[in-house]
Amino acid sequence: MSDTNTTGAPMFEIENLHASIGDKEILKGVNLTVNKGEVHALMGPNGSGKSTLAYVLAGHPSYEVTEGAIRFNGEDILELEPDERARRGIFLAFQYPTVIPGVSMANFLRMAVTNVRNARVEAAEAAGGTAQKMTPREFRRLMKEKMALLKMDDAFATRYLNEGFSGGEKKRAEILQMALLEPTMAILDETDSGLDIDALRVVSEGVNSLAGPDMGVLLITHYQRLLNHIKPDFVHIMMAGRIVQEGGPELAHELEAKGYETLRAEFAAD
Amino acid sequence: MDATITQDAPTALTGFSREAVLDLSRRKGDPDWVRDARLAAWDHYETLPAPARTDEEWRRTDLRALKLDRLAPFAGLDQERVSLDALSQNGHAADRDGALAIGSADQRAGVVVQRDATTLSADVDPSLAAQGVIFCDLDTAVRDHADLVRRYFMTEAVPVGFGKYEALHAAFWQGGTFLYVPRNVSVELPFRSFAQAQEPGAAVFTHSLVVLEEGAEAFFVDAYSSPTQDKQSFASAVVELILRRDAKLRYVQVQDWGRHAWSFLTERATLADRAELKSLHVTLGSRFSKNSIGSHLRGEDTLAEMLGISFADGNQFFDHHTWQLHESPHATSDLEFKSALKGSARTVYSGLIKVSEGAQKTDAYQQNRNLVLSPTARADSIPNLEIAANDVRCTHGATISQVEEEHIFYLQARGIPRTEAQKLIVEGFFRPVIDRIPVEEIQGFLQAAIGRKVGM
Repeated sequence: MSDTNTTGAPMFEIENLHASIGDKEILKGVNLTVNKGEVHALMGPNGSGKSTLAYVLAGHPSYEVTEGAIRFNGEDILELEPDERARRGIFLAFQYPTVIPGVSMANFLRMAVTNVRNARVEAAEAAGGTAQKMTPREFRRLMKEKMALLKMDDAFATRYLNEGFSGGEKKRAEILQMALLEPTMAILDETDSGLDIDALRVVSEGVNSLAGPDMGVLLITHYQRLLNHIKPDFVHIMMAGRIVQEGGPELAHELEAKGYETLRAEFAAD
Repeated sequence: MDATITQDAPTALTGFSREAVLDLSRRKGDPDWVRDARLAAWDHYETLPAPARTDEEWRRTDLRALKLDRLAPFAGLDQERVSLDALSQNGHAADRDGALAIGSADQRAGVVVQRDATTLSADVDPSLAAQGVIFCDLDTAVRDHADLVRRYFMTEAVPVGFGKYEALHAAFWQGGTFLYVPRNVSVELPFRSFAQAQEPGAAVFTHSLVVLEEGAEAFFVDAYSSPTQDKQSFASAVVELILRRDAKLRYVQVQDWGRHAWSFLTERATLADRAELKSLHVTLGSRFSKNSIGSHLRGEDTLAEMLGISFADGNQFFDHHTWQLHESPHATSDLEFKSALKGSARTVYSGLIKVSEGAQKTDAYQQNRNLVLSPTARADSIPNLEIAANDVRCTHGATISQVEEEHIFYLQARGIPRTEAQKLIVEGFFRPVIDRIPVEEIQGFLQAAIGRKVGM
């Protein structure tokens, strides 16, 4: 990706972000920065605005950003369509992946990968470098490889997008998409919800194998459980549309011990 | 109606009249019995009342803009015959981009290509002809197989007196294709018929008469197309599918007339004991399209699968009426019609499942789904049941829906641009129907046609 023109800027920066749905303000000034190679956990009780933040970062049309900025590699992305954001390298794993009847997984994945990779190739060429577009054969091989990584059956590819998938299958399919699209900024919204312990392990291993020095990760979760599998470098706690506390991994343990109620008493006053 | 005779003009008359019937018949060199049948049909036409908007079937159909008296009643007689090779090589309309292919000789059992009132080219696999299979244009059938034509042409499936437009068709039919498959002959490759219209401001009459004798099997692909022109045209199609006991027919029809055409289709299938019909109707073209499609399940244990795909854009108006007519016990009908609309297109679907008193153990299903892609498009869906037997299973369902923004967002979040996302969703909407046609060529054609429509 083109982070060359913006030396020194953080990779992903959320600054004083306010967002509303209808007349209701949900995000009330969120600040959060994710650098390359960092894993951040965003925790908070239900209704604190975590999922809204995820949607706003991905560009969901129902939310209106009223104030603040989102910058990716120094570029303000607020005016970008969701697909433009995805092609720049932002990925959102949905909490509730959408069922789209009649669209096969394989067809959908090929289209997504083609769009994202071609954009990357063009960006590389524009920067004076070279990169290879993917052939259909390479795509099939890559899809098989990543499906094996996530212990997904081959038949998966012929099924319609998320139709009749179990909760665990849907979440695996999300991580499969992440594996194929190779984002540089991954936002995982409650990827652990609805997973049994085995599925949680498979999904976490998948995420761990994809994360690396070039990727930033924002893990949104209600529970500490996921953080036993994917170790965060930083933990942020959100309440009522703001980040109210930040710290290292120990903060998650502290939260687990104290519960959200204690925090709520401290911060919900306003 | 004005009837002005212009000497030496390729098209002698304007409007439909008894004189025009006689002129057509003389120019075509009809035998007397055909001429007399045309005149009798003309009398029917004159006697029958015009459809009124008080009739349920015509309630949502506005015919005021159709000016029949300004049309040439026929056009393009006596065009030169062209070899199939030349048709394919010269980028003939039948082989143009996005049209169904004529197919090479090993991809078809036979082919008939017609333009306006002339047959340009025709052939049939000689080994099938040796088994008694007949595949030719109707004029040839009248000449060589008069007994069969007299017996089946507008007598059984769609009789002459069926309605006003059918009577007009019987008086003015010009093109037409005849398929006859004798007893226990089974043909796997498709018979392909291409009807094209090129003459501006003229009427075109297409007719498909298919007769499958006991235990016969066939696959028929019927394609109508024309380039879009300024002057209004009128396309009248009658399709008669006659299935004797144990016969099996797959019938695929693609209507892709130019946007100047007002298209009327009347199709009836009749099924004797254990016969099976699997049909697909694809409606893409024309300005106005009124389709009446029905299956008479006359025999026991018959099966009719009736599929429909239509995609209306711009100012197109499509009106589909379907009939699942159960007249004997233990028959199954399974209808699935899907329609997408964009621009300010308008569609009407009205379907009737009718179960006669003796038709116990009927299993009838009717599903109509509409996907509306623009706020100015409008779909109506009217399912109907009329059941006189007491031991039957009849289900129907109709939906009119829009593309969900959440679906678009999900696909966009994966890097797929909005227009491509919409295309993927529309293809997905039609996919279950496409998957029911186990013919790769047709599947590929449909996918491409839908893709083009979304992108228009």
